[in-house]
Amino acid sequence: MTTTLPTAPTGPGHPQPFTGTRTLGEPGQIDAEGVCAWFGGRLVLETVNLTMEQSKVTALIGPSGCGKSTFLRILNRMHEVVPGAQLAGSVKLDGVDIYGPGQRAMETRRHIGMVFQKPNPFPAMTIAENVLAGLKFSRSTPGDKDDLVQEALTKAGLWNEVKDRLGELGGALSGGQQQRLCIARSLAVRPRVLLMDEPCSALDPTSTLRIEQTIKEIADEVTVVIVTHNMQQAQRVSDYCAFFLAAENQPGRVIEAGRTEMIFGEPTDQRTFDYVNGQFG
Amino acid sequence: MIADGTTQSAPEGVLVTTTSASTQSAPVHEPRPPGPPPSGEFPESPAPPRPRRLPSPIRPGAFGAEDATILVGAAVSALCLVWIVFYQLTSLSGGLGFLICWYLAFLGLTWLGTAQVIERQVATDRVVAVVVVSAAALVIGIIIFIVAWVTYKAVPTIHWAALFTKDQKSFQLAESNALDHVGILHAVIGTFEQVLLAVAIGVPFAVATAIYLNEVRGFGSRTVRTVVTAMSGTPSVVAGVFIYSMLILTHVISYSGFAASLALVVILLPSVTRVVEEVLRVVPSGLREASQALGAPEWRTVWSVVLPTARSGVVTAVLLGIARIVGETAPLLFTAVGSQVLNLNPLSGDQGALPLVIWSDVRQPNAVLIDLAFQAAFVLMAFVLILFVLARIFSRPKGKGGKGRARPEEDDLMARFFVPIPIEESESR
Ligand SMILES: Nc1ncnc2c1ncn2[C@@H]1O[C@H](COP(=O)(O)OP(=O)(O)OP(=O)(O)O)[C@@H](O)[C@H]1O
Ligand SMILES: [Mg+2]
Repeated sequence: MTTTLPTAPTGPGHPQPFTGTRTLGEPGQIDAEGVCAWFGGRLVLETVNLTMEQSKVTALIGPSGCGKSTFLRILNRMHEVVPGAQLAGSVKLDGVDIYGPGQRAMETRRHIGMVFQKPNPFPAMTIAENVLAGLKFSRSTPGDKDDLVQEALTKAGLWNEVKDRLGELGGALSGGQQQRLCIARSLAVRPRVLLMDEPCSALDPTSTLRIEQTIKEIADEVTVVIVTHNMQQAQRVSDYCAFFLAAENQPGRVIEAGRTEMIFGEPTDQRTFDYVNGQFG
Repeated sequence: MIADGTTQSAPEGVLVTTTSASTQSAPVHEPRPPGPPPSGEFPESPAPPRPRRLPSPIRPGAFGAEDATILVGAAVSALCLVWIVFYQLTSLSGGLGFLICWYLAFLGLTWLGTAQVIERQVATDRVVAVVVVSAAALVIGIIIFIVAWVTYKAVPTIHWAALFTKDQKSFQLAESNALDHVGILHAVIGTFEQVLLAVAIGVPFAVATAIYLNEVRGFGSRTVRTVVTAMSGTPSVVAGVFIYSMLILTHVISYSGFAASLALVVILLPSVTRVVEEVLRVVPSGLREASQALGAPEWRTVWSVVLPTARSGVVTAVLLGIARIVGETAPLLFTAVGSQVLNLNPLSGDQGALPLVIWSDVRQPNAVLIDLAFQAAFVLMAFVLILFVLARIFSRPKGKGGKGRARPEEDDLMARFFVPIPIEESESR
């Protein structure tokens, strides 16, 4: 059961790989179909079917260890980096299975960016170099570097704070600024989807609000999927919400998904109601 | 699950008890009746806080006049005691024995004195502190003594102009048998070329091996690590014999500075590999993930993120590696052989080196050559010292001067460096 893990074969007439052909920078839609995940033969995520709508913010909520991060990493092929990790099912970006034949992980990750829980700007690079890092890695040359740096930093809500110190090292910023720099770095490659794994959990309330504002502002250019433990944050930023839950010694599953007002207002499942109202465990 | 209201109000009660501990007779642990604490118990304007005097010094560092008196007293009485026992009662002799006996008596008297005046537990603590401090002082003292002695032997006779501009060629001539006619230029140039070649050959291999061990983690990396570790214990004389028998006796290369470089590479490779691997391990894995998530291939991640982040550490590793090989003597004996005259070409012919000058000249029955050997030792020592200072500067986090935030894991890089490199080990000559 855990050994058969090739992803769904792409049949004839399947859309061609988007490698290089499509333009970056238009928000994409992600359809996860029957996604399962294993770590060292242990099933941790079972049959997740979830659609992340174009240009919308989708929040993934649920208690610790239910597989939110694992699911998020499956969405941009970071799951396979972990030794002993396996998966099943398919993840479609605008109808193209990112695990399909001919799809390269590096190319996919340029379309589906990721921001991590801990701010991780490259310490040996300046602020400007950090923003341009993704382009350097993919050896694509932007038209005007300065414009791109300004655009990405403005979108991430950091431009005004750092416009006079672009030559300083990335580590010279505060934690909240570093996280916005990481967002700018991800946005600079013009991804179609941005995944964020608890991006505010290491930050103070002011920085958190600043980043939430950033998320709302970028949402019409990039589809956002955010993992958060903060119910208020999920309510504030997201349009859609998916509640993950793993019963004891069971893999994680999606219990309920839908519009955020619905999940928080009138959930159909009792467990969702308990969780979003803080009556859990 | 959670306790009832009666015990929940306890923290407030405790708070009140501690603020007015002197006036309250009830023990702290006695549960107070439920309800809000009477507000009148809070003092109106509390006195400014003052540090409490602790009954006995708890830290070994808490050291006052009393403790100093005890130590001095113990030292003096130990001296008297041992003197009486040594010379009056038993008529023993021997400086070292006297010193050891005095030290032991000093420790014992320190314990007794502290136990009498302060407390037994503090006494043990104090004796341990004395042992630790004197061990550190002994090590530092030996190092300072070596440096001071070589400096004392070398500096007064140095003829700076000749030292770095002349070789020993003219030494044979009787009229020029003086320090202003001979120098160690041939050795300085030789050592410089040999070390430079060794670094140019060895460091790329060392860095590549470290990347293989820590970033690629490919097939057999555990075996490679074990081999590298074992290799770092190779006696340097074996490295010389290896090059001699494999390359020189088989006429692949001749006696030359280059042959010496190859022998030095054998010594340099494991040390630098181990240190660079340590340095790469310090690079946070989050940076690698961030790079991958931006779509960077593996080699890009290593080249553009991991190595630049570890750059100061890699530079430090190379500097310490140079310090490690620059004083090696044994591998040069079979390879560069040594020479009295300047040989600029490292690829052919015997070549001098600083360690070889020390090794050969200090045994000559000639005051000028002995002086020259000490001067070479002094130059070598100064060079190693400069390397260490540079290494220290490079291993410092870049955070100084507002340029980037200090990363705490870099603070102890220097400490990491000293573990894998047995620099003192080159005493096998
Ligand atoms: N590298 C790994 N190796 C083995 N098991 C792992 C690994 N990473 C995660 N797991 C397991 O997978 C399950 C899901 O983990 P995941 O990190 O996705 O949880 P999460 O929902 O993100 O939790 P949290 O809210 O605490 O971040 C957990 O049971 C965890 O123990
Ligand atoms: Mg997580």
